[in-house]
Amino acid sequence: MKAVDVIDLDVRYGAHQILEEIAFSVHSGEMIGICGPNGSGKTTLLKAMSRIVSPAAGEVYYNGEDMDTLSFRMLAQRVAVVPQETAINFDYTVREIVMMGRHPYIGRFASESREDHAICDRVMRLANVSHLADMPVNQISGGERQRVMIARALAQEPDILLLDEATSHLDISHQIEILTIIRKEMEKTATISVFHDINLASCYCDRIILLKEREIAGIGTPAVVLTENLIHSVYGINVIVGTHPSTNRPYILPMYEKAQVETGGRRVHLVCGGGTGSLLQRELHRSGCLLSTGVLNVLDSDYKTACDLGIPVVSEAPFASISGDASGALMPFLEEADMILLVPMPVGSGNLENIRLLEPYAKKTVLVGRVESFEDYTGGEARTVLSRLLEGGMVVVDSLANALKREL
Amino acid sequence: MRYRAPLTLFLLFIAVCLSMLIAVATGSIQIPLSSIFSDETAHQIIFDIRLPRVIAAVLVGAALATAGTAMQALFKNPMADPYIIGTSAGGSLGAVASIVFLAGAGLPVFAFTGAVAATFLVYTIARRGGKIPVETLLLTGVALSMFLSAMLSFLMYSSGKSLHQIVFWLMGGFWTVSWDQVWVALVIPVGCVLIYLFARDINIISLGDDEAVHLGVNVEQLKILLLFASAVLAGIAVSIAGAIGFIGLITPHLMRNIVGPDHRILFPAAILAGALILLWADTFTRTFGNEMPVGIITAFLGAPFFMYLLRRRSAV
Repeated sequence: MKAVDVIDLDVRYGAHQILEEIAFSVHSGEMIGICGPNGSGKTTLLKAMSRIVSPAAGEVYYNGEDMDTLSFRMLAQRVAVVPQETAINFDYTVREIVMMGRHPYIGRFASESREDHAICDRVMRLANVSHLADMPVNQISGGERQRVMIARALAQEPDILLLDEATSHLDISHQIEILTIIRKEMEKTATISVFHDINLASCYCDRIILLKEREIAGIGTPAVVLTENLIHSVYGINVIVGTHPSTNRPYILPMYEKAQVETGGRRVHLVCGGGTGSLLQRELHRSGCLLSTGVLNVLDSDYKTACDLGIPVVSEAPFASISGDASGALMPFLEEADMILLVPMPVGSGNLENIRLLEPYAKKTVLVGRVESFEDYTGGEARTVLSRLLEGGMVVVDSLANALKREL
Repeated sequence: MRYRAPLTLFLLFIAVCLSMLIAVATGSIQIPLSSIFSDETAHQIIFDIRLPRVIAAVLVGAALATAGTAMQALFKNPMADPYIIGTSAGGSLGAVASIVFLAGAGLPVFAFTGAVAATFLVYTIARRGGKIPVETLLLTGVALSMFLSAMLSFLMYSSGKSLHQIVFWLMGGFWTVSWDQVWVALVIPVGCVLIYLFARDINIISLGDDEAVHLGVNVEQLKILLLFASAVLAGIAVSIAGAIGFIGLITPHLMRNIVGPDHRILFPAAILAGALILLWADTFTRTFGNEMPVGIITAFLGAPFFMYLLRRRSAV
């Protein structure tokens, strides 16, 4: 049985549709992240799932029980919510706040039992707030207060935990601390969490829901959802998706400038190497030109980028010099290119051919960067080739945008 | 500071009991203890005049303190008082209508009806799709109070010779209290106990409506309960003694500083403190103040004290 089952949820504020046909389910022990731009309905979704707003249509089931059939107390025994930031006007102590998590279990005419106190002590230890127990909650730091809120949620002993950007206002170490506590101490709980930070979601969530304008744009494991195309369609920004070296989860790097270069379907060949061309490959790839690249060693990260993007690439075996086969394969690309882009890169005897082969095409070659930026490991030979290219008519510009402004 | 809670409650309770005894024994006429049962007049003064008045002052003080505490929690605002939902304006209008049109006949009934009706009106206007947003409630209460005050001013303006009686009543006091009113005032403890049963829920709702829902509180139901229980408490208080100010605002504040914000302790503490303050204010006015309306005393002492509390609070 699924811990959470959301079926075709619609939420409207007046005539304004906030969420439309949202459907997903979450298993016990699973953590699902909700990401999306501001105004995409993330927080509203959590509100609809915790009875703060009533949906216009659709149902929410918790452990197979329809939310609408549950009393407020029963719902609070099953579902706990950690809000984004809590302003508390009255100076309750930390212990009093955590004990409020037991409220749904205590009868109208009863007071807290010994068991309730034991649970409070235990969850305060887990959330690492025991030492603050008698402090007024409005005199502790934001990170501590958020841990208190986690402790209170733990005290509710919920099957389902909803987090509304519970860590957004905290520094990175507190974010990690709190998410680690949740994953460790609530391993049987189904957790649904709104994230602003996609990389944080990628690291901690089993699955991610991307919301875009009221609807689910993507749902699945971080690797499935966090693609350049999907993120571009949801957020309207270009990102580079990589793999985090220690978690092996996808991480995204935004390409901060939003403007795109336009190349209008011309043929461009890019000569790069040693990781110097990955960024240009992405920009050119997106610009709509017919891009090719090479010769690249197959261990080069530029080669990997080209493969990821599906760019035609002429390759060479690891640590080998550019062979006749490779240069033969390169010739048609150079011949047909409207423009050949060259970027400063390390040049050794292995890839010297890459620039030497450009000599007949010096007139349509554009260097993006400075000649001085080349690292010459050939004892001056590379510099000589570059000088000949300059004499032959190679143009030097400082940016890709300026390169493409030139007559193609 | 809050560890003093049980001790504070105990001391307050003793103080209220002793004060009641002292208040019954004091007054503008000195009555020796020995003559209570032998002297017919002394007996009458003690049992038919002073005792009901002392009990009424204690109960009205308790009612205002309870309603004030409940309103401050409901509005998450320590500036709220029992009259914020229109009770004082409604009650005063009812009372003045009775004075102007019926020469004061049925005044308590009119005052009570006015108070509760005003709250009901505020509630109805503020209600949106089954919910009552706290801000709307607050603003509606203020707006309706202004409207009712305008009507009140008009009645006063056109009241002619009964103006003095109206002004005297509006300032609040206990000089007309008899046993009849005390019997009615016995509803007050019932109301206090009813609200107290929800003390834990009230703790939670003071954090915010959404959080209260998350913690299993039926917020809208609790709001209705608090609104109407407070309206009835404040309405009875107004019907007995007029719109006495500051007790409902100050006692929750004062006690929160001493026993902390937990309403399970705050309610009894505020009730005892409210009773004590109002009892002494009334005893003072009937002994030394030539029956000056007690509302003048509570405001005269209450306002500066309130400012002192605010200064001290912001200094911390």
